[in-house]
Amino acid sequence: MRLTNLQKAIIYALTLLVLLLFIGPIFWFMLLAFRHPSDTYVLPPQIFFQPTLQSFETTFVDPGNNAPQLVNSLIVSTGATLLSLPFSLSAAYALSRFNMRGKSFILNWYVSLLIAPPIIFIIPFFILMTRIGWAGTYQAMIVMLQTITIPFSVWLLKSFMDDVPYDLEEAALVDGANRWLAFWRVTLPLALPGIIVTSMFAFVFSWNNVLFPLVLSRQTTATLPVGTISFFASTGVYWNQIAATAVVAMLPPMIIFLILGRYVVRGLTFGAVKG
Amino acid sequence: MRKRLPYLLIAPSVVVLLSLVLYPMGFALINSFYFWNLQTSPTPLFFSGWDNYRMVFQTTPFVEALTNTLLLSFVGTFVQFWLGMAIALLLNSHLRGMTVTRAILIMPTTVAPVVVGFLFRYLMEPQGGVLPWLLTGIGLTPPPQGLLGSASTALLSIGIADTWQWTPFFAIVLYAGLIAVPEELKDAARVDGASGLAMFWRITLPLLRPVAAFLVMIRFMQLFNSFDLVFVLTGGGPGTASRTLSFNLYREGLVNYNIGLTAAMTWLVVIIVTIIINLYIFFIFRKREW
Repeated sequence: MRLTNLQKAIIYALTLLVLLLFIGPIFWFMLLAFRHPSDTYVLPPQIFFQPTLQSFETTFVDPGNNAPQLVNSLIVSTGATLLSLPFSLSAAYALSRFNMRGKSFILNWYVSLLIAPPIIFIIPFFILMTRIGWAGTYQAMIVMLQTITIPFSVWLLKSFMDDVPYDLEEAALVDGANRWLAFWRVTLPLALPGIIVTSMFAFVFSWNNVLFPLVLSRQTTATLPVGTISFFASTGVYWNQIAATAVVAMLPPMIIFLILGRYVVRGLTFGAVKG
Repeated sequence: MRKRLPYLLIAPSVVVLLSLVLYPMGFALINSFYFWNLQTSPTPLFFSGWDNYRMVFQTTPFVEALTNTLLLSFVGTFVQFWLGMAIALLLNSHLRGMTVTRAILIMPTTVAPVVVGFLFRYLMEPQGGVLPWLLTGIGLTPPPQGLLGSASTALLSIGIADTWQWTPFFAIVLYAGLIAVPEELKDAARVDGASGLAMFWRITLPLLRPVAAFLVMIRFMQLFNSFDLVFVLTGGGPGTASRTLSFNLYREGLVNYNIGLTAAMTWLVVIIVTIIINLYIFFIFRKREW
């Protein structure tokens, strides 16, 4: 289909508008982190100004209240990702390689966990964690995050394992390898890119989660998003500092999605759309 | 052994998840029949029959929260789907620069919803925010309490923030679906004299149906569970004007510590969610197993 120049011009104009609407606000918020507190509100909007790192210094260096939260976020997200891997790997392998009764029921059950309101699990869990003395610990958050990371990873990993031809594994079985060896030497290495992609998504979902840390963390174990919220509770709204913490919280997921590139669609649809 | 192996491999994940899900469910079921406020007692105080279920409607804005939640979910999903579709069609124009545009457009999706909340709070600040300034500029003066502080615009503002974050997601996934539509099909239709619009309705849309059905279900439920944005943007206010079911549960359970009441509300929400999902599966997925 040939487009006339006018049609092309309209498409480009609309695309520019889309970019301005959907990317503009992110940049506007990022700029806020580099502004002087006195320039928090400048109208009409100013894009060029003398940038300062003062807000980052306050939040991450001196007194740096948010620096430990960055570490906490890393601990919780990495922990949740690593803990889910053995569980989701074995389940995904079984669902990809075997025909069994109730397979679609099991797969649907995992999805139902992903779309259930997380708030209904967290309140009883909060009371349980308080009783066994886990309230405010890393492990409480890491365990609770499994309700997201395991079902998600099972689905995505299964889709990646479906891509590894079963013939290869069968050939290894015929050659005398047992099932474990066939999995370990054949399927696992071939599914490795998929495993890495899945882990990266699980990490991002854990990193961006705020409800579980909000309920289950204490001051010393608070993650970065919770730290951002705590600015609100204190005396005033320090927009520049909120923006500085938010920028740091935004960067890892953005970089990871950039690396993921063509896998983004597949991951965000739990492997349902190959993209 | 061969027959049991797959179940053994699935078992660990199922056991972990069941204990993380069944415990809260059972806990809520039992305690929904007890009077229990965590501030006054560490354990349930006394059996109270169906009182908690009645109290949910009498002492919390449950119906209002349910209405808000459904409104947000239906309108949000609808708007995001069609806006996303429009952008996907732009991307599918095969013009130079669309690959880069697609790659950049993922940015809002990567941002934590709580950060999106702060971003929009900043944009919507009554004094000094860019959005009220723009609105005033085009002659639409926002309410004096601000977009987030006014009962008539609070829920709408939450919807706008969510739409900002997830419309590009719809666009990118639908675009992936559009690319997969075979060119031969479109060529054949074109030879038969089909117009662009007819091709879209008769060929493209039916082929996108499986992708769209999945997307819409996930997004509808994420909107239904809205908490982060409500928490940061309006706190359910002003008053209870923008409370969602999730936020109502949070308020009763983790602010007022009415555990028995929250437990009853939990089960009401579970029943509502189950009905919605089954209706959806019945109407959308009944023709295929997924």
